[in-house]
Amino acid sequence: MSGVVCAIRGGPASQPTIEKAISLAKEYLLPLYFLYVVNLDFLERTASSRVHLISKEMHQMGDFILLSAQEKAQKEGVVSEGIVRDGNVSEEIVGLCRELKADYVVLGRPKGEDDEANVFTNERLWILANLVEGASGAKAVFTNGE
Amino acid sequence: MKMALNRRLSFFLVLLFIVGFGFSLLPQKTQAQEKSLVLIVGTVIDRQEVPVEGAQVELLGGNTGELLSEALTQANGRFALRVPDIIPDQLSVRIHRAHFQDDMFQMSERDVEHLRAGETISLANITLPRVINQAFWLATAIFVGVLIFIGTGRMHNTLAALAGASLILIISYLSYPLNQNWYIFDFPISLTYIDWNVIFLIMGMMIFIAVVENTGIFQWLAFMAFRVSGGRLLLLMLILMIIAGVASAFLDNVTTMLLMAPITIQIALSLGINPLVLLIPEVLASNVVGISTLIGTPTNILIGSYAHLSFTDFLVNLTPGVMLAFIGLVLYSFLIFRKDLAASPNLSPLLEKKLAESGKITDPVNLKKAGWVGLGMLLLFIFGENLNMPPSVTALVGATALLVWIRPNVEEMIEAVDWTTLVFFMSLFIVVGAIQEVGLISLIAEGISWLVGDSLVLAMMIIIWFSAILSTVVANIPFTAAMLPVIGYLTLTIPGAESNVLFYCLSVGAAMGGNGSLIGASANMVTSGIAERAGYPITYAYFLRKGFPALLITVGLATIWLLIRFL
Repeated sequence: MSGVVCAIRGGPASQPTIEKAISLAKEYLLPLYFLYVVNLDFLERTASSRVHLISKEMHQMGDFILLSAQEKAQKEGVVSEGIVRDGNVSEEIVGLCRELKADYVVLGRPKGEDDEANVFTNERLWILANLVEGASGAKAVFTNGE
Repeated sequence: MKMALNRRLSFFLVLLFIVGFGFSLLPQKTQAQEKSLVLIVGTVIDRQEVPVEGAQVELLGGNTGELLSEALTQANGRFALRVPDIIPDQLSVRIHRAHFQDDMFQMSERDVEHLRAGETISLANITLPRVINQAFWLATAIFVGVLIFIGTGRMHNTLAALAGASLILIISYLSYPLNQNWYIFDFPISLTYIDWNVIFLIMGMMIFIAVVENTGIFQWLAFMAFRVSGGRLLLLMLILMIIAGVASAFLDNVTTMLLMAPITIQIALSLGINPLVLLIPEVLASNVVGISTLIGTPTNILIGSYAHLSFTDFLVNLTPGVMLAFIGLVLYSFLIFRKDLAASPNLSPLLEKKLAESGKITDPVNLKKAGWVGLGMLLLFIFGENLNMPPSVTALVGATALLVWIRPNVEEMIEAVDWTTLVFFMSLFIVVGAIQEVGLISLIAEGISWLVGDSLVLAMMIIIWFSAILSTVVANIPFTAAMLPVIGYLTLTIPGAESNVLFYCLSVGAAMGGNGSLIGASANMVTSGIAERAGYPITYAYFLRKGFPALLITVGLATIWLLIRFL
């Protein structure tokens, strides 16, 4: 297996990442995999006992966000698949790239957001890119958000 | 004939035995009781005329101060000292209570004569002044520390409260060998501060909610809102606000938003609009309308239990004000999102199909059963007060009935109970009890009382707006728990406040104040977390811009209602 992996979380900031992934898949005629990671760390302090409940809802929301990206890919004539995983975003990206023996992984960093709150700060993005490339052999491609 | 006589004799003897045995069980007057009981009775109060419970009152006799009798004051501050048969010429009474100054006075010769004549003496109220010692500062520091840890999110709410309660108890027990001025209260006294009505009410409602939340009703309702609105965004926003509000009036706001936010985001994405246009009004409505019933928010549960306010009391005295505030909130939401709402939605058929899959009722059988039980609970909440049935009993009975009826996996159901929240409340009650015990609450109450004097309007204004503004930065549950005894004191002292209006003011301020900032309410945090996971982060500044004006409008309208209703 091979292909392009694109991790998204939806919203306008993910659009350049989606577009880049579609263009890569189109250019190299590779299958495209959109990944959405359900991460419920934000419930730790407010509603930790509700994880079982919200997990299902977040999966559905993830499916929905992926479907929206898939619809966009379909319009560009690219066949894509949506994958929802639970856990840490970086680990799941690395894990999926390994499983699929991905050729490319598209990583985007939304602009203008608080670095503390953002998983993908420049520094972390580079660390993640090195990790993915080292662990799976997939080449990391960067985009900037809106 | 002889046999019949024997039988009658036997029957007579048995009867005699039973009657004799019965008489032997009747209380017999002792020699001591035959003599009339001579007592010294009185009431111990603090400077605010609040009864002091648990004060040790001793009757001392003679020059040596020999202990003749002792008693503890009851919850109403009353005590009764038994006077011995032989009464010395000199009698004195000594009163001791931790965190108060000791008091001792000698009884007059005339009183002693009356006692010798077998008359009971009723003393004038004994006022004990408070003592501000090291325990006061320790308890205050721990309470403030708990508030800071919760407010800054440096520690989980439950852990912060539990650590506070543990610290208070360990300090109190270490005070015996180390420094008696550190003593706050011991474990048995700390338990008296836990309001079990609150704990059981929350627990019962959690079990009920655990069944309802798995039926898909919220998702279905949101989808129906989408269908009914037919792409008219203004109508869609209004319906979603009503759903979130009504749901929050019966369930906790966090659960409501956990269930509503993901489907709302999906609806917004299907329509091609920014989900925040629907999410922000929804969470604001949840925080406002949640306080219309006794069970809608934890703060209302605390207030209702402390002030003995019934479900109907909230419906009659608060719900109309909440409706007024809600109307204001709807108009405000239309105004701030008018540009987004005016846009033509760009409906995606593929996403709409997916949305229809998400917006289904997943368990109609359990939903029906939960509906019937919920109706029964509602009736019991309303009419149970005629039977003096506390709301906790209704919640517990309703939850049990539902469990027996649907026979779920009990382990799963028990897991669904948020035990961390229950532990949080129990620990919080102990921490707040500590500051009550050492006199901090009395000081605050005295301060507010001095500030407002006899003006009920001023008291209402200060409580509503102080609570509202403070709730934007301080966790409203510990704040409300700490304010309850203060409001209780003001209710007793300010003319006209006996209608409990100040408790409603606290309810409005503490809950609607949550709209003022992102960290003001847990529902805001949860909504923000879900929105961020969908790529639409809600920053602190963004929420402040949208939420703070909403606070001013809704609290202002609720204030107008309370003034009209109670003045």
